[in-house]
Amino acid sequence: MKKNNIEGWVFVSPLVIWISLIILVPIYIAFELSLFNVKIIGTSGKFVGIDNYIKLFGKSKFVNASLNSFYWIIGNAICQTFFAFTIALTINYKFPGKKIMANWIILSFIIPTVVVVVIWKLMLSSSSGVINSVLIDIGLLDEATGFFSSPNKAFISLVLINSWRWSPFLALIILSGLNSINREMYDASKVDGANFIQQFLFITFPNLKSVLFVLGLVGTLLSFNIFDIIWLITKGGPSSATTTLPLLIYETAFTKFRISQAATLSIVTSFLLLLFSIIFIKSMAPKEDD
Amino acid sequence: MIKENNIKLIFLSLSLLLIILIFFFPFFWIITSSFKSPEEIIATSTTIIPRSFTLEHYNKILFNSDFFIYLKNSLIVSFSSMIISIILSVSAAYGLHKLKFYGNKFVEYSLLVTYAFPGVILLVPIYLLFAKVNLLNSYFALIIVNVLFATPFAVWMLKAFFKLIPNEIEEAAYIDGASRYVVISRIVVPLAAPGIASVAIFCFIISWTEYLFASILISGDDLKTLPVGLAGIVGQYQIDWGFLLSGAVLASLPVIFLFVFIGKYFVSGLTEGAVK
Repeated sequence: MKKNNIEGWVFVSPLVIWISLIILVPIYIAFELSLFNVKIIGTSGKFVGIDNYIKLFGKSKFVNASLNSFYWIIGNAICQTFFAFTIALTINYKFPGKKIMANWIILSFIIPTVVVVVIWKLMLSSSSGVINSVLIDIGLLDEATGFFSSPNKAFISLVLINSWRWSPFLALIILSGLNSINREMYDASKVDGANFIQQFLFITFPNLKSVLFVLGLVGTLLSFNIFDIIWLITKGGPSSATTTLPLLIYETAFTKFRISQAATLSIVTSFLLLLFSIIFIKSMAPKEDD
Repeated sequence: MIKENNIKLIFLSLSLLLIILIFFFPFFWIITSSFKSPEEIIATSTTIIPRSFTLEHYNKILFNSDFFIYLKNSLIVSFSSMIISIILSVSAAYGLHKLKFYGNKFVEYSLLVTYAFPGVILLVPIYLLFAKVNLLNSYFALIIVNVLFATPFAVWMLKAFFKLIPNEIEEAAYIDGASRYVVISRIVVPLAAPGIASVAIFCFIISWTEYLFASILISGDDLKTLPVGLAGIVGQYQIDWGFLLSGAVLASLPVIFLFVFIGKYFVSGLTEGAVK
C-alpha cells in the first residue's frame, strides 16, 4: 500500500498529542523539581543542582527498593510464565466447558485490584483464613501462619497474589499464539516420532516468539509498575521487605512529603525503564516478514 | 500410544482441577462469605458450605453507606474515559494500520512502551502538573489519566481487527467516489465493531479498577470512586469483613455484567493483537 504521510499523522496525532502532553509535561516538571530542594508541594526550595541525584545513589533505601523491584520482576516472571503456560496448554485441549473456561478464566484480571486484595486478605488471614485451615487439615501446617508476617513470606505471598491476577490474561495471549500454529506441524512431527516435550521445545516455543516478545517487554514493565496490591496488603513491610521502587516513590512523596526526592526517583526510574525497553526492542524484536 | 494418551489425560484433569481451584474457588468463597454472619466470617474453624445466611451486610452497604455516591463517581469517570478512549484509539489505529506513513513503526512501538510505562512513575509529576493547572479533585483529572492508560493497548487490540478488513473494499468505495469520512463511518467502523466493543470494555475495566491515581488526585469524599472507597475500609484497623466483602462483590458486578455480554469479543480482541 502506498504511504499516506500527512493523513496518517492527522489520524494518529490526537492520541499522540494527548499521550505526549500527559507524559512529557509532567516529566519536565519533575525534572525541574529534581534540581531543587522542595519538600511540601506548593512551597519553593533552593536550587541544588544534581545534589538530589548524587544523594539518591548513596541511600540504602534506594538500593534496597531497586533490589526488591528486581526480585519482584524475576519472581513474577517465573510464576506467571509457569501459571500462564499451564493454563494455556490445558485450555488448548478439547474438553467439555472449554469455551466457558477460556472466557471466564480472565475474571481475576477484570475485577478491581482492591477486590483482589480483599479476596486474598480474607483467604490468607492468619486468624480465620480458609488457606490456613485447609493447610492444617491436610497436615502441611501445625498451626496457623501469618502469610504477611515475615519478610520472605510476605514477598512470596505478594508475588503469588499478583501472578494470580495476571496469569490468566497472559495465558489467553499465549493461547491465541498457540492457535495460530499450523496443526500439520504437530502431525508431521508425530509421524517422525517426536514426543510431547520435543513438540513443545521445537514447534510450540519457536512459533510463539513474537507473542513472547510482547509479553516479555510489556510484562516486565507492567510487573514493575504494580503498586496497589503491595501497598494495600503490606504497605511495603515488614521492615521494607516489600518496598519496591513504586512504593518508595509513593512513600517519599505522599507520606514523607519530600517532593524533590520523589521527583528525582521518578526521573531515575523512568530512565532505567526506558533504557531497558530500548535494549529489549533492539535485541529481541522479531523481524517483520510482511 | 495408548499409554501416552492416558498420561496426558491424567495431567489434563489434574491441571484443570487445580486451575478451577486456584482461579475460581476464591470467587465462590468471597461471594458466599458476603452472605455469612459476621461471626462465621471470622470464625477460626472454616467450613466450605456456609452455615448462616444473612443480607445484613448488603443492607448496610446499600442503605447505610456512601456506596451510591462512589458508584455514581465511578460510572461517570469510567463512561467518559471509555468514550474518549474509543474516539482517540480508533482514529489512531486507523492511521497506523490503514494508512501506512513515515514513522508508523516508531509510533506503534512507542505506544506499546507507553502502555506499560506510566503508572507510579508519573504519579508525582502528574500530581504536580494538575496542582498547577487546578485540576485536582475533578472527574476530568481521572479521565485524563485513564485515557492515557487505556488507549495504547486499545490501539494494539484494534490492529488485528483493522488488518482483517480487506483494503479492496475501501479502494472500491473510493473509486465510487466515497469520501474518507464515509469510508470510515460506513465501512471501517461497522466491520471493526467487535474490535471496538472489546476496546470499549477494556477501557471501561481499566478506568473502573484504577486505584492509585484516584486515591491521590481526589481528596473530596463526594468525588471518590469505588476502589478508593473500598480501600478505605481495607485500611481500617478493625476490618468490618461483611461490609467489605459485600462492597467487593458489588464493585465487581458492573464489569462482570458487561463481560457477560461482550466478554467473547473482549477475549478475542485482547489476544488477536499479539499474534497478527
